[in-house]
Amino acid sequence: MKRLVPLIILLITIFGLAYYITPKLPQQTELRPLGEFYLKNSYFGDYSAKSPEVVTSILWDYRGLDTLFETSVFFIAIIGSLTLFRLNKKQEEEAKQKTEEFRIGLTLIIKSVTRVIVVMILAVSASIALHGHLTPGGGFQGGSALAVAPLLIIAAYSKYALEEHGLDKTMALIFRSIGLLGIALVALVPLLSGGFLMQNQPIFPAKLGGQLVSGSLIYYNFFEFLAVGAGFTAVFLLLAIPEKVFKKFLRREANE
Amino acid sequence: MNEVITFIWTVIILSLIATVIISLYGIARRPNLTKKLIALTIFTDTANLLVVLLGYRLIYPVAPPVLPSFSKEALQTFVKTAVDPLPQAFVITAVVIGMAVNVLIAFAIIQIYRLYGTVDARKLGEKQSTLLKEGGI
Repeated sequence: MKRLVPLIILLITIFGLAYYITPKLPQQTELRPLGEFYLKNSYFGDYSAKSPEVVTSILWDYRGLDTLFETSVFFIAIIGSLTLFRLNKKQEEEAKQKTEEFRIGLTLIIKSVTRVIVVMILAVSASIALHGHLTPGGGFQGGSALAVAPLLIIAAYSKYALEEHGLDKTMALIFRSIGLLGIALVALVPLLSGGFLMQNQPIFPAKLGGQLVSGSLIYYNFFEFLAVGAGFTAVFLLLAIPEKVFKKFLRREANE
Repeated sequence: MNEVITFIWTVIILSLIATVIISLYGIARRPNLTKKLIALTIFTDTANLLVVLLGYRLIYPVAPPVLPSFSKEALQTFVKTAVDPLPQAFVITAVVIGMAVNVLIAFAIIQIYRLYGTVDARKLGEKQSTLLKEGGI
């Protein structure tokens, strides 16, 4: 009962204050001019990004440079995590050796269900990323959804199952580098034909084979999808190294 | 109708501000580094939600900023009902970048635990001063 008192006081304060200030608030029913500009121009206007999804066209076209630097913040954060858990070549090989308690793993039910769900997650995340210029979604959200699949495999099997099938930390870093390189190259392409950095229309074709691809938006979404998904996968692989193995490395270093 | 929407909106905003205050208390006053990180994630998520609410419009049929069909007539009603897309575009990146930065902080906390054997901020300060006196660093 005593613990409920602050909660009740907080609720009464919030509702009382809300009742008191509601009539005095300005009614926010109109759009701001900038938001209206984006809504009108996203598909039809003179400064069009040829995308019906206004958020994505702001993200990768109107405010593209912001997102480019946000991606570099993401890159630096992942690099920082990898540096904190840095292992040398010999230790990395040793971390890949299966320890005794991971031989058996979880039950058959969990393993089969995971096998089905992982495929579904991969399909859904690819759909989120590649339809980012048409429906809500995009590279960032799709990449975060993609990173769930290896996390699920780590939980149901172990990190060794991923590494045996070739998806180790180096592979994830290669995929992430392909993604980041792709974003940088797509940003630089307009300079070749006399455009600005990260320009979208009219340099990139809005339609490919009758399908609306919204110029450069689909390429940015795809490469961001790769970069975010693979970056998080590399981090999760490092986090999944058993604590015992790490303790062994630290103790050996202390003895030397 | 409109007054009810405004009232609910005000309650949501005030609850979010209360959550921000509580999470700031958690960041400042809890000695455990892991609990500090949890409070920090609550703080960033609440701040992101507040930014999304900045673009909301207090009208009844309100639509997401995705063009429903490719016609000029649809554009007119779309601009009348759609919410402001700009805050949403900022939040999309902030959420994923925030996740990467949280991972970095979590790695730092794990490493601190491995090296010092504790995640209590007060004990960490004591350990550091003894290490400095002994010349261990």
